[in-house]
Amino acid sequence: MRAADTTLATRPRRGLGGIAWHLVLAGVSLAMIFPVLWGILTSFKPANEIYSLSPLPAAPTLDNYAHALTEWPVGLLVGNTFVMAAGVAIGQLLIAILGAFALAYFTPRARPLVLTLLTISLAMPPQALIIPQFLMTAKLDWLNTDLGLIVPQLGSSALAVLLLLQHVDGMPVSLLNAARLDGAKPWESLWHIVLPALRPAIAAVTILVFITTWNDYLWPLLVAPRQIDTTVQIGLRQFETAEGTNFGGLLAAATLTSLPILAVYLVASRRITDAFLQSGIK
Amino acid sequence: MTLTAPAPTDTSAARSGDIQLSGLTKQYGSSTALNAIDLHIPAGSLTVVVGPSGCGKSTLLRVLSGLETATRGDLLIGGQPVANQRAGDRDVAMVFQDYALYPHMSVAANLSFGLRLQARHDRRSGPSKSEIAERVASVAALLGLDALLTRKPSQLSGGQRQRVALGRAIIRRPQVLLLDEPLSALDSQLRASARAEILRLHREIGATLVLVTHDQHEALSMATHLVVMDAGTVAQSGSAEELFHAPATEFVATFVGSPAMNLMNTIDGAGRTGWRATDAVLDSDTSSPPAGGLTVSGITEMCEFTGDGQQVTVRSGDSTFTLIQRDGERWLRVGDPVRATIPPGRLHHFDTNGHRRNAS
Repeated sequence: MRAADTTLATRPRRGLGGIAWHLVLAGVSLAMIFPVLWGILTSFKPANEIYSLSPLPAAPTLDNYAHALTEWPVGLLVGNTFVMAAGVAIGQLLIAILGAFALAYFTPRARPLVLTLLTISLAMPPQALIIPQFLMTAKLDWLNTDLGLIVPQLGSSALAVLLLLQHVDGMPVSLLNAARLDGAKPWESLWHIVLPALRPAIAAVTILVFITTWNDYLWPLLVAPRQIDTTVQIGLRQFETAEGTNFGGLLAAATLTSLPILAVYLVASRRITDAFLQSGIK
Repeated sequence: MTLTAPAPTDTSAARSGDIQLSGLTKQYGSSTALNAIDLHIPAGSLTVVVGPSGCGKSTLLRVLSGLETATRGDLLIGGQPVANQRAGDRDVAMVFQDYALYPHMSVAANLSFGLRLQARHDRRSGPSKSEIAERVASVAALLGLDALLTRKPSQLSGGQRQRVALGRAIIRRPQVLLLDEPLSALDSQLRASARAEILRLHREIGATLVLVTHDQHEALSMATHLVVMDAGTVAQSGSAEELFHAPATEFVATFVGSPAMNLMNTIDGAGRTGWRATDAVLDSDTSSPPAGGLTVSGITEMCEFTGDGQQVTVRSGDSTFTLIQRDGERWLRVGDPVRATIPPGRLHHFDTNGHRRNAS
């Protein structure tokens, strides 16, 4: 009994319990990865195999990719999406850095109120805001423009602000006090002391916002429905034609346009894990 | 309670490094951290502010530095009213308890940060690049940091970090250097050398040092000027000897000196009488007790060997007192009866409010 008690706490789990645990994890991972894998495999299937239940293509082909690359404006759409995702990421980051720093450094009287409002804005479903946001964008004549794709999405910076604020609040107060006594003005404290300390958090928030925006569907669909102005996610609809959906081309295009995100992920996988864990969302 | 003499007599009031507080009050909401403090900190002194935790000593330091603004009262540094000056403009530097070194900067960059800002703010009269390099080099030499200039704070030992923090504080040549519990983060071996380092620095830079500590031993050994604080007020300020030999209140008497001063009610009930453990003379068979002193007696309850003597706790009725005896011929043991006499000149008398009423 005593031996079992001590080893249970100190040794990694082995034996039956460990196997069961790993089986559960493997099952969950498989469930997550299965649709992606199926999509990639299907993108190599010729048209007559699309609905076949065999996972592997019987006669693998690159026709779908050739079609996606030639018939579909892949460069234009990836470019549009990149401009939108980068613009939103940079914009939200600027707001978050300045907002978090101001809330932490000046501790305004309204800080608790601001925090409450930010949290409420997180809890608000984006669908509830989308009509007024769309109307404002239309009034500003920003439909089918990059501004229309980017600026309204800066309104949802609350998560970025709160994430960075948590990190600024976590810094030793004495660091900022030392900088004040060294004669640093507020923006100098931000630039020389706070930003270097926040680098990992800033990287995490940037990636988080970039990926979320890259994958966004509803907003670009409303604001930039025109084929040449829209983003990848909306552009994929062009494979739905009157004669039916070209699933091979669709999946080839989807695979291609997931590559940038995959690249970001490979470069910074640990940061991304951190970012998603910290944000508490999936 | 005790007001020290106002401005020093040798010069006009505007001497650099001189600090004068009058009626200084700091309130947080409804709680009062500093209660109408009148205090003079002499220029060039090593002033140690000591008191139990929560007595307001850290708040005092923060108000001096400008990190907090006083609710009421006046604060003059070097004869100039500074209440409306920003923290960085007061010519006051501070060493923080956790040292607060900028973690991503090298030692050299930590030292020069303030000077580089100064150069950027004021291109005409600020320090030049070569001057900054020179001052970094001289501070590094003064504190033995030459070999560490390219390291990051995380690569330094506790003692080295403290020296960098000291260097960063003195490089702008402030009138006043504030130190918030500078020794508390060091282990006991390093403390002695760090203390010596601070004393040496004080001699060499000539600034006023204000050091806050809760360690009365540290306070007594370092201070040229000692300030004891209690519940947001100054209980007494003066030289360490003065506070030790003529404590103004029972609080100061029991807080300064170790072991704490013995206090017992006087027979007439008009206050209390105190004496230091070292001032008691044990009665022996061979010598007669000094005449006119206070004689106390009891049973030895606890004996602590201190190397060169014994610290003895003696039970007398329902109270105890402490005495220190150094007579190696006669070690006391638990249970031994003790009789001791305190010479009249070594007695401290306090009234019912705890204020000193000695003639001496």
